[in-house]
Amino acid sequence: MAEPTTPQAMGESTPGADTSPSGSGEGDKPSLIRRLELDPRLLGMLVALAAIWIVFHILSGGTFLTPRNLWNLSVQTAVIGIMATGMVLIIVSRNIDLSVGSMLATLGMAMAILQREWIPQWLGFDHPATWLIALAAGIALGAAIGAFQGAIVAYVGVPAFIVTLGGLLVWRGVAWAMASGRTIAPMDDTFQRLGGGRDGTIGGPATWIIAGVTCAALIGYLISSRRRKVKYGFAARPLWADVAIGVVGSALVLGAAWVINSYPLPQPLAREYAEARGIDYPEGGLDIPQGLANPVLILIVAGIVMTFMATRTRFGRYVFAIGGNPEAAELGGIKTRWTIVKTFMIMGILVAIAAAVTTARLNAATSGLGVTFELYVIAAAVIGGTSLAGGIGTIPGAMLGALVAQSLQSGMVLIGLDAPLQDVVLGIVLVVAVALDSIYRRRVQR
Amino acid sequence: MTTTAAKSATEQRTPLVDMRDIRVAFGGVHAVDGVSIDLFPGEVVALVGGNGAGKTTLIKTLSGAHKADSGEIFVNGEPASISNPRDAREYGVETIYQTLALADNIDAPSNIFLGRELRTRLGTLNDTAMESTTRELMGRLNPRFKNFRAPVQSLSGGQRQSVAIARAVHFNAKILIMDEPTAALGPAETDEVRQLIRQLREEGLGIFLISHDIHDVFDLADRISVMLQGKLVGTVNKADVTQDEVLAMIIAGKHPEDVTQSDINGLHR
Amino acid sequence: MTKLRYLALLPAAALVLAACGSDDGDEEAPDETTEATEAAGDAGDGLSGEGLTIGVSWNNFNEPRWAKFDEPAIQDKLEELGAEYISTDAGSSAEQQLTDVENLISQGADALIILAQDGQAIIPAVESAADQGIPVVGYDRLIESDQAFYISFDNVEVGRLQAEYIYEEVPEGNYVFIKGNQADANADFLRGGQEEKLLELSGCTGPLTTDNPDAECPIKNVGESYTDNWETSVAQTNMEQFLTQNNNEVDAVISSNDGMALGVIAALDAQGLAGSVPVSGQDGDAANLNKVALGEQTVDVWKNAFELGEAAAEIAVRLANGTALDEIEVTSDLGSSAPASTTTEPFTTPGEIDVWSIILAPTPVTQENLDEPIDAGAVTQEEVCAGVEAGSVPACP
Repeated sequence: MAEPTTPQAMGESTPGADTSPSGSGEGDKPSLIRRLELDPRLLGMLVALAAIWIVFHILSGGTFLTPRNLWNLSVQTAVIGIMATGMVLIIVSRNIDLSVGSMLATLGMAMAILQREWIPQWLGFDHPATWLIALAAGIALGAAIGAFQGAIVAYVGVPAFIVTLGGLLVWRGVAWAMASGRTIAPMDDTFQRLGGGRDGTIGGPATWIIAGVTCAALIGYLISSRRRKVKYGFAARPLWADVAIGVVGSALVLGAAWVINSYPLPQPLAREYAEARGIDYPEGGLDIPQGLANPVLILIVAGIVMTFMATRTRFGRYVFAIGGNPEAAELGGIKTRWTIVKTFMIMGILVAIAAAVTTARLNAATSGLGVTFELYVIAAAVIGGTSLAGGIGTIPGAMLGALVAQSLQSGMVLIGLDAPLQDVVLGIVLVVAVALDSIYRRRVQR
Repeated sequence: MTTTAAKSATEQRTPLVDMRDIRVAFGGVHAVDGVSIDLFPGEVVALVGGNGAGKTTLIKTLSGAHKADSGEIFVNGEPASISNPRDAREYGVETIYQTLALADNIDAPSNIFLGRELRTRLGTLNDTAMESTTRELMGRLNPRFKNFRAPVQSLSGGQRQSVAIARAVHFNAKILIMDEPTAALGPAETDEVRQLIRQLREEGLGIFLISHDIHDVFDLADRISVMLQGKLVGTVNKADVTQDEVLAMIIAGKHPEDVTQSDINGLHR
Repeated sequence: MTKLRYLALLPAAALVLAACGSDDGDEEAPDETTEATEAAGDAGDGLSGEGLTIGVSWNNFNEPRWAKFDEPAIQDKLEELGAEYISTDAGSSAEQQLTDVENLISQGADALIILAQDGQAIIPAVESAADQGIPVVGYDRLIESDQAFYISFDNVEVGRLQAEYIYEEVPEGNYVFIKGNQADANADFLRGGQEEKLLELSGCTGPLTTDNPDAECPIKNVGESYTDNWETSVAQTNMEQFLTQNNNEVDAVISSNDGMALGVIAALDAQGLAGSVPVSGQDGDAANLNKVALGEQTVDVWKNAFELGEAAAEIAVRLANGTALDEIEVTSDLGSSAPASTTTEPFTTPGEIDVWSIILAPTPVTQENLDEPIDAGAVTQEEVCAGVEAGSVPACP
């Protein structure tokens, strides 16, 4: 059996990130990508994303790659993206959650009713803590619903497809029943900020700081990882490779921050901003960078937390082990059923956060919220490399998948493509992405 | 029916494992029907029998994969309650399953430490320490093993086997269960596994070896326990029997004393 | 498992919340409906429903409107006339509705009011009823059969009213059209009405499509799209894209219904444009009437479902008493929904069938007449006036 002959060829090990062992019949000289130890599929997706952006930029007469559109795109991606980070763990552990769209409606409705009808009875309207109480209650309810569904899957043994299909029906009905189908609007002023829009961004300076911290973290990670390998005697990447990754990575992060900060506050809002602070509002308008929108910040934080959980904690390791071989996991002494319940609980919490973002952004809770969202969330995870067979998937991939899907949708509206045709395109892209993925995997296996 | 003919010469020592009157039933089927076997330190006991004899089920009660319906297990003379794999490990029992029980999508170090991960001071996984330990282990067990970061799915049968063995051997096991360890291996690798078994026996471990390969059994085992349709036919010292007699036990359920020449002729027809 | 047991109580709490929610919703309507129907008065020509049973086949009670407005209105009118009310719910299934109609007939219905899930699929049931001498009233949704009486609001008129009130604010400028679900015939009815009125008022030759072939027309179409499921969040995303595409140079938005209008307003608000760009809607949702009061929505075309239900009940009793389809006359006071003609008129369906009909007039609600839906009991003053500066609109003193 062919064994790898070049130590450099070993990929960075992320469970389920599907690094290909090089040298398995592919010749002696490892390709550039493998020497950089980057996941080829993630790179492939980035290339695809770039291609999509360029195509839409041309087709839309130069509107797509503007700071404003990219800023909007980031916010539009947030809701699906947040939920996709949780769906990865569920699919990896050989389950599925079809109820997330309906849960979104129920949790959104719950938080809306709390804000507008229940909490004001004790605290009055516009109390500074209202948003926090509503959000906390929503998260608790999401965790409970998730745990409930997860327990039925794990302890009673009903397949996840069935349990969450039931959930899809039940929670949709509950969302309607909670307000007899009424739309609840508007939300609490502070709560609204979770959705972006006015006052819903972190501002220019904060964005630069976050970008700077991210670059520092990237470089720090590269350095410490290198040191660690040397200390334990493993082969590290060649120095030029580490430097290249550090430079390119930092450039991308700083570039993204620059694009985000290039979309200024819309002038009517800038005027209000100036008036509120007693600043002069000049003739030509004010250029006030908005910075990252709160939904995007929440998405990034969720992505970081979930990636950490998936790759650096025992819980994450067990989720992947269960996905790879549930029997082996049991025999290894892992509490598989409790782990499964936890994956559904986490999904519930993420859906609650996504529900907060979307009701804040819409400034309304409707019982029709999130219809068919479960499909988009699953599509995002799958486009991002998660395998429906279980055991394989990454969180950054799912976030990228959400970005790809949303880029397609927003781009298609920008060029005036009809709604049903948009669905056709998205469906085709989904199948193509998964097909490419399967072909790639098969070529890489022995 | 337990045979007493095969008590080892060292019967005054406390057995490492003493399984008494184990019963396991699935529905109305008695997979294991009142079987008693034991194991002493520094010996290999082969557990043999045809398909459906109940060997794997019996051994699963010791490895924690399946709880016995009745019967008792003693480890080092103390009663042992084993209801899950964790319990078994606590008693120093490590198992190499026939299917290897490896998670294909994660790498060798992660598999070796599955359920017993090494952690950093902050509580996160210490992948580097696990990889480093694995390298050491493999250096001793299988020096040609190189692919520490690849998912084990992409490794050869022999390499996967060595991962399973490394997992069983690393954690200071006293009792090792090996279920068909050479079934999927080529001759060179089979040899290596046999070497390893001998070495471990010398180190004082007790090994239950399930095998259908009569040559392996005769090469490695000190005693042989034969099962047929859930019952124990008998336990014999390897030194006291021939292969044909053992075969007769396996197929016909006859005790060595009762095996006639015509039975042996029948086997070879 | 104990932890989980406690956690499992929380979803149960959600269900309790749901039950409470729906109770609260129901409490308000009945009181005000009785007021409304009393004010409307009875059919003065001695019409009586004594001894008659009227069967109502609902398509899907899940939609808020039927339970809150239409059903109480029908029930009250039937009670006033002395007739009995029985009903079924088809749960959005056309097949189920066929069975439901049979059920109502076998329970002794003398006339039927059918809210059709599918105007074609229901035809066999209608013809079967007609064969048995049981007249049918097609309620709100068109049934493609001349055996059924058709009573509804004029959906094309809704579109015309939306366009009319927006045009009044913006006779010249960039328009965006946020349409309904492509598969829903109503979406095109509405867009057709909007187009008709805009061309009439502006004098343009049109058509008002995104390529703007009529170069001299003061109204320019800078964005138009259908909206999946009439969904609010989809409307918001689409509106964001239209604003981006046009660099915020949008002067008016004709949204075909209220749900989508909320999404449009959210997108405008993020650009600081809410209140300065006129937006239209339909349905009289509480949240949107509030937006009208706040000045963020210009017009909300409301259909007084109380009056629709009342009229339908009267018509059903008349038919049950033996009046012919073409001789129906409605004498109940239908307030602002009063049709152009209280006697039946022929109506040509898209399927080219002539049905006998009475078409009620929708009520455009602006800041001036918010009191109308409040008085009718469709919304409360608290809901409409939440956050509204006292005295800024007549309905919120």
